[in-house]
Amino acid sequence: MMQLWQAQVKAVIRLELRKTFFARRGLWIYFLALLPVLLFVGYSITNSLQLRQSSGIARRGEKPLAYQDLLAVHSGMTKDEVIAALGRPPVVFHWDDRRDDESGKATSVKHEEYRYSDGVNDLYVSLEDGKVENTNLQEGYNLGRDSIMFAGVFQFFFLRLAVFFGCLGIFMNLFRGEILDRSLHFYFLSPIRRDVLMVGKFLAGLVATCVIFVTSELLQNVAFLWHLSPAVRDLYLYRNHGLEHALAYLGVTMLACVGYGAFFLVAGMLFKNPILPTAAILIWEGINPFLPALLKQFSVIYYLKALCPVNIPTPPAMSPVMALLISNPNPISPIIAICGLLVVAAIGLYGSSLQVRRMEINYTTE
Amino acid sequence: MSTKDRIIFEDVSKFYGEILGVNRVNLSIPPGITSLVGPNGSGKTTLMNLMTGLIRPTQGRIEVLGCRTNDPETLFKLVGYSTQFDALPKGLTGFQFVNSYLRLTGMDSRKAEQMAMQAIERVGLTDSASRNINGYSKGMRQRIRLAQALAHNPQVLILDEPLNGLDPLARSEMIALFRWAAEQGSYVLISSHILHEVDVISDQVVLMSNGYVVAEGAIHAVRSEIREHPTQILVRCDRPRELAAKVMGSIDTIEISIHKDEHGLLLKTRNADDFYLALNKIALNGIEIESVAPADDDVLSVYEYLIGNEEVAR
Repeated sequence: MMQLWQAQVKAVIRLELRKTFFARRGLWIYFLALLPVLLFVGYSITNSLQLRQSSGIARRGEKPLAYQDLLAVHSGMTKDEVIAALGRPPVVFHWDDRRDDESGKATSVKHEEYRYSDGVNDLYVSLEDGKVENTNLQEGYNLGRDSIMFAGVFQFFFLRLAVFFGCLGIFMNLFRGEILDRSLHFYFLSPIRRDVLMVGKFLAGLVATCVIFVTSELLQNVAFLWHLSPAVRDLYLYRNHGLEHALAYLGVTMLACVGYGAFFLVAGMLFKNPILPTAAILIWEGINPFLPALLKQFSVIYYLKALCPVNIPTPPAMSPVMALLISNPNPISPIIAICGLLVVAAIGLYGSSLQVRRMEINYTTE
Repeated sequence: MSTKDRIIFEDVSKFYGEILGVNRVNLSIPPGITSLVGPNGSGKTTLMNLMTGLIRPTQGRIEVLGCRTNDPETLFKLVGYSTQFDALPKGLTGFQFVNSYLRLTGMDSRKAEQMAMQAIERVGLTDSASRNINGYSKGMRQRIRLAQALAHNPQVLILDEPLNGLDPLARSEMIALFRWAAEQGSYVLISSHILHEVDVISDQVVLMSNGYVVAEGAIHAVRSEIREHPTQILVRCDRPRELAAKVMGSIDTIEISIHKDEHGLLLKTRNADDFYLALNKIALNGIEIESVAPADDDVLSVYEYLIGNEEVAR
């Protein structure tokens, strides 16, 4: 019997994948998945251009500089002290300014701005009448900062919007779309158990969303690391948990597809209008941090947040209520998070299997 | 015959909210070709959808050869249903459509391909099998649905308006196919508006009106039950006026009219059996009788007597 069900599930997956991947009405899902990739490609290109400019400045400098040399300059130093420490500046801007002194007499102030670089990081030194007024060190890349930015894009755009709406588009249509197309009877007239059909359709949706969004996540990682030099990339991937993080993101993406997929599958069977359940699930997921502990557990984002490898720090000025949206004050262990999410998905699938057995083909009332 | 050899409806009703689909249907359908006949909205499709589990009865019990309709895994090994729904899965060729259906039964790819081609050949679509079904004409879509319904050689074939959209040649080919299936011992259930075709192909009919089964059984038996309408008999003979005079004198006839060509007469009687006996005696007296045939012992007449003249194609 298991063999028959397996063969039937495979047949359903084959049919569904063809429909899902090549459906014209699903093109927006590819766009949604591509958007963060484009963001990181843009980020990488900008950084590459910046690095090229920095290394050009470093080459034009009087002497090769290290990051520590750039840190040595501080306010109050004289122009000569700066030149003694870093050499003649490769890039100089200067202009004069007229300003009234304490006695009300107009005097001329000489402004200069020097720009140094070690090939990666740029130092901007502002001088007034030959004295350093302030310095600004712009780092070419800061892996800590960049990985927090990546985590932010992952949690707030990719998970909550791209994967969420992508799963909505694919899983909601598995049954609802066929009812609207008046083609569901093709399956319902086959010698296949309705719950086996439901499993086949769910797995097909899961394969489709995983292929689309895991590929997107993979490309995001590649684009994110692309502008780094091989040495820095190795350092990030193998010494700074970069590879671990990338794998964790892929795993969280897959689990998000499982969780949201189960939610939207059952919603597609229960509701004729997808807007209502979508809005309800979106609000439910959004207010999750403010829910009592027990209710929190019936949401997908609660578990996904716990599995994200990088915590996003709360900005100091943020109100405690808003801070809840970013950080999780009571984090749960990854094992509990994975099991919890699978249990939530299983509840959704059980609901779907009950619903699919009760379903009738009555297109005229839809 | 046990219930395992029949399609059984036991006090079945179906309501769509407050709208009646079918009401208190009791049927026991034997093998052969059974036609569901009735005007639009009489409940023919509802009955077929109930039989295949696409909808559930509000009350009552349905069994198809002993199988309950809520068990699709078993039911659709026995049943093939060609629906009236025109939508087919998108992006498939005719062959892929039938083949996918067979793969859903769990069949291996080689066997499925072979059986799909056989079914497509049976409905005469071999040349168009590799074309996308979205480009098929109405008649071709009808035939590919038929191919899907009979691809797995089901014992029960349920066909909702299967002759719609077919040209006359295709119609006669399909009718021959239904006859062949019935001769193999299959149960072929057909709903149709086209009464003269129903008359030609059916072994038994189920007449429906407003969700009720008005009559069921072999058409001759159904006709003989309709006593308020006298039987019409057409007699072809050489001396119709002489025969009319003799008939009038011997049996209880309601009306006799001479055929336009003066080679026959049409009579109406409430006692057909007495007429046939009397006719034997009359024939012995030298009137040459070429043929005797009931003139209203067909679906069309029965339909008119029981249901009236509502939306029906002759």
